[in-house]
Amino acid sequence: MLLNNKRKILANSNRKALGIIIALSIGALIIALFLAILNVANIIPLSAKSTSPDIIHLVRMSTIQALLSTGLSLMVGIMLAWALNRLEFFGRKIIIALFASAIVTPGIVIALGLIDVWGREGIISDFLQIFGIGWDFSIFGLFGILFAHTILNGAFAATILLARLEAIELQKLKIAQSLALPPLKRFLLLDLPTIKNTIPALGAIIFLLAFTSFPIVLMLGGGPSNQTLEVAIYSAVRLSFDLKLAVQLSLVQLVLCLLIIMPAIIFNQDNIRAGISSNHRWQENGFSKFMQITILIVGIFAFMLPIISILLNLFSMEFFALVLRPSFWRATITSLTLGASSAVLTLFIAIIISQAKIALHGKISKALIALPLYVYLIIPALVLSLGFYILARQLQISNSIIAPFVLILGNTLLALPFAVAILAPSLEAINKRYNKLLGSLNLSSLSRWRFVEWPLLGREIGIVLALAFSFSLGDLGIISLFGTNEFTTLPWAMFQASGAYRNNDAGIIGAILLLIIFTVFLVLPVIFRKFSNVRS
Amino acid sequence: MLEVKDIYFHYEKQKQDYRYDFSLGKGEIIAISGVSGAGKSTLLDLIAGFLMPNKGEINLNDQDILSLPPEKRPVSILFQNDNLFEHLSVNKNIALGVLGNENSNENQAAISNALKDVGLENFGNQLASKLSGGQKQRVALARTLLRNRPILLLDEPFTGLDEKTAKDMQALLKKLVKQHKWHAIIVTHNKYDANAMGAKNYVMKNAILQS
Repeated sequence: MLLNNKRKILANSNRKALGIIIALSIGALIIALFLAILNVANIIPLSAKSTSPDIIHLVRMSTIQALLSTGLSLMVGIMLAWALNRLEFFGRKIIIALFASAIVTPGIVIALGLIDVWGREGIISDFLQIFGIGWDFSIFGLFGILFAHTILNGAFAATILLARLEAIELQKLKIAQSLALPPLKRFLLLDLPTIKNTIPALGAIIFLLAFTSFPIVLMLGGGPSNQTLEVAIYSAVRLSFDLKLAVQLSLVQLVLCLLIIMPAIIFNQDNIRAGISSNHRWQENGFSKFMQITILIVGIFAFMLPIISILLNLFSMEFFALVLRPSFWRATITSLTLGASSAVLTLFIAIIISQAKIALHGKISKALIALPLYVYLIIPALVLSLGFYILARQLQISNSIIAPFVLILGNTLLALPFAVAILAPSLEAINKRYNKLLGSLNLSSLSRWRFVEWPLLGREIGIVLALAFSFSLGDLGIISLFGTNEFTTLPWAMFQASGAYRNNDAGIIGAILLLIIFTVFLVLPVIFRKFSNVRS
Repeated sequence: MLEVKDIYFHYEKQKQDYRYDFSLGKGEIIAISGVSGAGKSTLLDLIAGFLMPNKGEINLNDQDILSLPPEKRPVSILFQNDNLFEHLSVNKNIALGVLGNENSNENQAAISNALKDVGLENFGNQLASKLSGGQKQRVALARTLLRNRPILLLDEPFTGLDEKTAKDMQALLKKLVKQHKWHAIIVTHNKYDANAMGAKNYVMKNAILQS
């Protein structure tokens, strides 16, 4: 008995120790990056004059754009989730999976797709010309930015909110249905209380995604008047080589992100998780049904059209010419290698931190170990990249040597909060259910993982790997400061092609990128679920 | 008379047919027992309209009810839990889907009477979340009283209640079913529940309802 307890305590201690070491290492890395940024600020006094653009304008523009994007995305997300929750139709699961893929759809692809569809020489314009109607609409500017953000973040919000609606207790739903609650009362009494706790944290995440959005603003911004902090940081490093300005802007960006995310973390009452729990569908009739069908058709049309227009490039005449180029293969192999590496690293760290979080007691220690995970939410990809960029220069390491490691590490840090949010609740549930049994069986930490946790977590592991891989594959933030002609990834190649007005090339690369991401995102969780062979 | 005639039902991925055939008079109670997954709650879902049978009829006083959607069926349901909206007051929970405006004098009086009948007078303004398990079941019963639908379906309503509260609830239910001439069907794991309520005993065995 005493020996059993000793082994159990030892297994738990190992998990705690490993988790703390990893969390501390991430913390140390972040501090090093931050110090590197501050060091530049010290060498060149921040008060000194630089080529500074109007920072107030940048902050105002970033904030207005992000606020509008958040409001619109939440509105669209609620409407889509409402419609999907009520309607039953053939292909419903496919539509939900497509909306769920918004989180991994690269911004650069959506931006290019929107130009393809809504641009002056786009599909809509071509279509209207058949009837002799002119198209004088510009997708560039604030409208284009909001449109792209609302499509991506609205679909993301819909997935999260739908999962909450589908998790309403079945018995409560049956009682309300048998009481014949009218649609509005049903929404106010059942739906609203269910989603209202999710809204603040979800809103904060969408705000930050929009606030730190890079490729969409860069491609659809249409000029300096719509520039945001993120794009200004990129311009300062890559275009005007003004490191001091980049640091100034990064510090402003960091402080603002911190101000936004802290209340959301402190007041968050909800774990944002996806998952479908109920098969019972209570459909509505009349005007409600008409509205739901209309909302869904408009939503699918808006989300799918830019994606389809990009995917159509797979049938382009120039497809084979492009894929036969050695530079294309270099970019593809680099992207796949980096994606796979950061996916494995993300999974490894997420498991260790989740296990340590469960093994630790007390709210403060649990919160402290999870703190490094909020890196992504506090430090935007470009600022993270800038930190690595400066650190490499200070350590006199060539960019070409350090770039692959930076990309793997940077993308891992970006995927970690999502990975832990997916793994930790399931691990916690396994722990709650089997902890006493596992303790009494005297299993070591490794056996516990091999025989209990791994078989039960197959699907979640698949989701984490797919998510981290897709994030890395679509990244344009971290690569933007390290990308060169020799060191190229698919998004970077796409960005360069687009910048050189080789739109066909950009479209074909975008289509291949989407194809890989969608395949991995949809197939990997299924394979892992089957592989683990336990989950029903 | 409630007649469940030769009902066959099977779930999409199951080959096995669940079969039900019985009738039930006014003011009568039948209790259905059986192991988990035997098909007890499936019967309640079929009568309430949440599931549609593959074959058979369900009639109330010779009127077909299978063609009616769940919200129009002459049915009240009481589950083991989740019968109330925890963030609403007792009064609002009772009025929900039953009375238009719970604040009118007439409706206030009706709610008060229903609460009195279940032994919870003066609880009207309390939040549902503040009530004990037994009190919540009584409030749900008060709503059932106001709805006054002829069929009452009870899905393990006493599970989780302490012995005394369960006994009180059984006595109250027995009295109300007789008084209002309801057709009551109770799903239970416990034969004592059935006996305490003077119910006819049925058991689900090999997917068939047997007396």
